[in-house]
Amino acid sequence: MRSIFINEWRLLLRSKVLLSIGLCFILTLIASVWISHKQVSLEKTAQDEAKQHLRAQWENIEEMNPHSAAHYGTYVFKTSSILSSLDNGVNNVTGRMIRVEGHVQNEMVHSEASQMVFVSKFGKLRASIFLQYIIPLLLIFLAFYSIYSEKQSGRLKLLLLQSNSLKRLLWTKTLSVCSVGLLLLAFVVLIFGILNVQSFDEEILKRLTLFIGAYLFYYFIVSGFTVYLTARFKNATLALTFMLGIWMFWTIFLPNVLMSSAEKLHPLPSRNKLATDMKEDRAKGIDGHNPTDERAIVLKEEVLAKYGVDSLSQLPINFDGIRMQADEDYGNQVWDKHFGGVITKLQLQKKSLQRGGIINPFISLQNLSMGFAASDNYHHQIFLEQVEYYRRKLIQSLNIEHAHGGSKTGDWGWKAKNSFFKGIPDFDYQLEKIKAVIRTYILDVACLLMWTVLIFGLLSFNSKKIEL
Amino acid sequence: MIELKNASKSFKAHKAIDKLTLKVASGEIFGLLGSNGAGKSTAINLLLGILKLDEGVISVNQLDITKNSNKTRSIIGYIPENVNLYPYLTGLENLDYFCLLAGLRYSKTELNSFLGHCGLQKNNADKRVKTYSKGMRQKVGIAIAYAKKAKVYLLDEPASGLDPLASNELSKLLIELASEGACILMATHDLFRAREVCNRIGILKNGKLLRELSSESVTATELEQLYLTYMQN
Repeated sequence: MRSIFINEWRLLLRSKVLLSIGLCFILTLIASVWISHKQVSLEKTAQDEAKQHLRAQWENIEEMNPHSAAHYGTYVFKTSSILSSLDNGVNNVTGRMIRVEGHVQNEMVHSEASQMVFVSKFGKLRASIFLQYIIPLLLIFLAFYSIYSEKQSGRLKLLLLQSNSLKRLLWTKTLSVCSVGLLLLAFVVLIFGILNVQSFDEEILKRLTLFIGAYLFYYFIVSGFTVYLTARFKNATLALTFMLGIWMFWTIFLPNVLMSSAEKLHPLPSRNKLATDMKEDRAKGIDGHNPTDERAIVLKEEVLAKYGVDSLSQLPINFDGIRMQADEDYGNQVWDKHFGGVITKLQLQKKSLQRGGIINPFISLQNLSMGFAASDNYHHQIFLEQVEYYRRKLIQSLNIEHAHGGSKTGDWGWKAKNSFFKGIPDFDYQLEKIKAVIRTYILDVACLLMWTVLIFGLLSFNSKKIEL
Repeated sequence: MIELKNASKSFKAHKAIDKLTLKVASGEIFGLLGSNGAGKSTAINLLLGILKLDEGVISVNQLDITKNSNKTRSIIGYIPENVNLYPYLTGLENLDYFCLLAGLRYSKTELNSFLGHCGLQKNNADKRVKTYSKGMRQKVGIAIAYAKKAKVYLLDEPASGLDPLASNELSKLLIELASEGACILMATHDLFRAREVCNRIGILKNGKLLRELSSESVTATELEQLYLTYMQN
């Protein structure tokens, strides 16, 4: 096996054409990783600057009414993981910045793709394009050529006579082709490591290892499948056409079909419908800005009873803050109800897409790649949850200050001090732990393993069916 | 050493080999003559174990090839019409690689001696095979079988396309191998070369062995006449 492996590499290195193609690939990969790194670095720098500026603005609020501060709001940012330079996933379309304020849950802004016609049409040069589309295509051609050249030249008979095992030959050819993928992947990781060495931590290393693992499994599947089909098919052109068809089916056709099916099976409400439903539900709750609102009056009576006073002027606190928080709490319930439904639908869509991995290992690879690079929709939802949690805490702090900071009901001119605003912590996006990511993507891991076992079986137990 | 008893092989409705019975002993060169599609290559592929036999028995060194394919393959050397070696490797590297595949590790000196024995000049051994002539590649092909210490040599149209000098060298080499005890089965179109090299000759048509004769018993002209008669009928 070792000698076949060495020979395959010797042939690759001695063929000027293959060597030139290989070098072009390596250079392009290096360029794509470097460009991706540069893009992420630039985004991070811009984000850090904006974040510092906004924080400084917040901390420099000299004196302000807390409720005015709630409307003034702030912006929070989704800090990209350094791994997103390898796979940017959904980041381009979801955006990275969100406005946080009272009463409303805003949507993300600053999506690059929405701003750049070129990017929305052609996409950016990312390492993931090479890793997911181009390298597998190269491996298909190499695996095909590796078997085809032996068959075409008649060497296969001689090889079989000498080595006495077609199974061993197919396995070694698969592994040697797969090792080309590994080498290209190693270049990507090496350049990535050099560019990001100072940002490495245990979590990133774990994610990177799993990221590489997922690609290796996929490269094995593609290489092994092509080797097997080329050996099995008597017509070499048919074998190559068939494998290229499978590549297109996996990477272009099936992902679209599966995504459309998932959307049809678990449809999301339209933006208008969601907004109308929320508005209707919101109208049933307390109106924080309207003291004559029926529910506000009931709340007022409760608070007066609690403090044992007859009128708002006798209250030692500012009832406006209590009413505002009640309004906020009700608004949160409405949001949880409606967006909870949307999130459940999104999860169902994702599960449905993940099941597609049974017939398409590319889907599993893409999910795992984005998941381990923390650039998938799952991480995006986690970010939105963290933002919403932060928003609620922020508004709650402002309302509590409004109510208990020393002002009286109706005193809208009262202002909280600068120290209060400074004391409110800034938003800090926490990356999900890898264990939770693995749990989310266990179906994709299982599908990729299932495909690996299938190819293992084809190469190990089905090689006897191959007629030379 | 090689024995085929009522061996038959069909490809769908086409009977490629039809109850072929043949015996080739050690030290003997058997020439299998026949036109294209006569079944010569099929017979060789059956002996190699690449094709499965439909009927009959084939044994190599008294071992049934269907039951002992690993053992029989280990003593067979195969030289196809075109020995397509790895063009980016030298003759020596090709030989080394094929020996390693067979589990044989030789020193450079030993490899050179095998190539030398098979007629490849030493200065050519270190040249890349893409610069070799067909005759030189045939020599490396034979050296692969020789280094394997093959007892049986199966040659499929080995002299096809060789120039007279290379063809002559090949004939000498085969005679030498046979004198060392090798059992050689050679499928060929070349009547004159077959008569010159082989001890016995068989004429194959539509998968059937129509005639078997000693090469000493006929002149080249008689063999040609005989061959044409069988082919035309």
